[in-house]
Amino acid sequence: MATEYVKLVDVTKCDGCRACMVACKNWNDLPAEPEEFSGTVQSHKKTTADTWNVLQYIEHENGKGDLEYLFRHSSCFHCTDAACEKVCPENAISYSKFGTVVIDHDKCVGCGYCVQNCPFEVISLKEYKDKNGKEYKLSQKCTMCTDRLEEGLQPACVTTCHTNALEFGNKDEMLAKAEKRLSEIKGKFPNANIYNPKGVGGTHTIYVLTEKPSVYGLPENPKVPTSAVVWKDYAQPIGKMMIGATTMAVVGAFITNNIISKRIKGKEDGGEGHE
Amino acid sequence: MSNHQQHPKANEKIRRFPKAFVWAHAINGIAFFALYITALPMYTEFFDWLYPVLGGPAGARLLHRIFAVIFITPTFILLIFSPKFFFKWMKELITWKKRDLEFFSEFVKELFGFNFKHVKQTFFNAGEKINSVIQILCAILVIVSGFTMWFPGFFPRAIVQWGYVLHNVGFGLGIAVIVGHVYLSVVHKHSRPGYSGVVTGKVPAWWAKGHYTEWYDEEVKKGNFPDLDDPKHKKGA
Repeated sequence: MATEYVKLVDVTKCDGCRACMVACKNWNDLPAEPEEFSGTVQSHKKTTADTWNVLQYIEHENGKGDLEYLFRHSSCFHCTDAACEKVCPENAISYSKFGTVVIDHDKCVGCGYCVQNCPFEVISLKEYKDKNGKEYKLSQKCTMCTDRLEEGLQPACVTTCHTNALEFGNKDEMLAKAEKRLSEIKGKFPNANIYNPKGVGGTHTIYVLTEKPSVYGLPENPKVPTSAVVWKDYAQPIGKMMIGATTMAVVGAFITNNIISKRIKGKEDGGEGHE
Repeated sequence: MSNHQQHPKANEKIRRFPKAFVWAHAINGIAFFALYITALPMYTEFFDWLYPVLGGPAGARLLHRIFAVIFITPTFILLIFSPKFFFKWMKELITWKKRDLEFFSEFVKELFGFNFKHVKQTFFNAGEKINSVIQILCAILVIVSGFTMWFPGFFPRAIVQWGYVLHNVGFGLGIAVIVGHVYLSVVHKHSRPGYSGVVTGKVPAWWAKGHYTEWYDEEVKKGNFPDLDDPKHKKGA
């Protein structure tokens, strides 16, 4: 892998303008998804197949009698050890040289295994119709604008962010920046932390959060589901070995049966050997 | 025992399976393979060429779901049309005696074509019982987990995730055993009458007597099957 890149999201700098959402729709040519008012300023409940990043607005009582408005740019985490990549039956999901996790839509069959196994629930299926009117599904999520990275550009959301809450760069540089920022804000936000969960091998979207991950609706200890490991690393290979073994057994049985019955025939000259 | 084959009534066909079982078994078998084939490209990319044959991934999914429903029906067919046979079958599956364990060492010899002796068996031999037990367990695994995979919105995420594992274990073990099951009936020379038996419901008397002696003799006592031990026909005796 060439240099690994990371998108650093510093929620303390975010002013909730949602330009990242617009820039994403614009660059990735995603249609608008109008929603009914749901009692919050947040536009969409969570990411969808056509809305790859959502700006969360969380009303949080901080325990000192204050109500805080927490903003978080939420999108795919681009895990180093991605559950979606592990469970995809078509190898349609892969890691790019930048460390991003991308879906190959020529291979995707729309089974939804990735949707069900993503620890952050950021993947969705979308239904399409081909020119014959036949329906098919594809899995959709943030690509970290890998097509832009290949051209030496930064992700659209990062480019548009006017407060530098979103930054993109060399992994080590971003991690150092996150540490520095954390030490700056620890006084004001004692619960502040860097969210770069180890259970998925670290991520390529890293957060500086002011509150515990659960306050943002994030899992405290996300990991590749144990079921995914049992399924892909044990059940599937063992199953393939088993059908191989029984096939070999019956082929062996067929051959030895023929050899032995020939030998008996040679000795006794015909007649059913059986019984 | 060779006398059984020379008995004038040796080739007479006797009824082994009721018609409901013949149908249930055939539907079960066809649905099983249809399900296997429609999902095979998901199991291994080597079979991705099946997608165009099956009408694309969406077509394969639809077929898989149609056959999934068909796969569930045989249990009900049997329960409705021949509950007697169903419960006889279940009773056989939970009855294990010394003769069942003795069966296996002789079976291995028979499988590879060496000399063997028949261990007296009841309606099903111990191998068939093992096959039944495994297939029933696998079917339960596959059907239950199939529901969670088909309707993920109705189940907690963890259940859906474990459903994938159970589905995989269920069909992985099921197909491995089926390979042996099909070989023994269609190819293996000693048990081949079993294949026409499960298609027509009837098998030759001599074969039934040799393979399922205890069951055969019981039916003789009830007067259902010809008595091949009839001394009049024992040439060598």
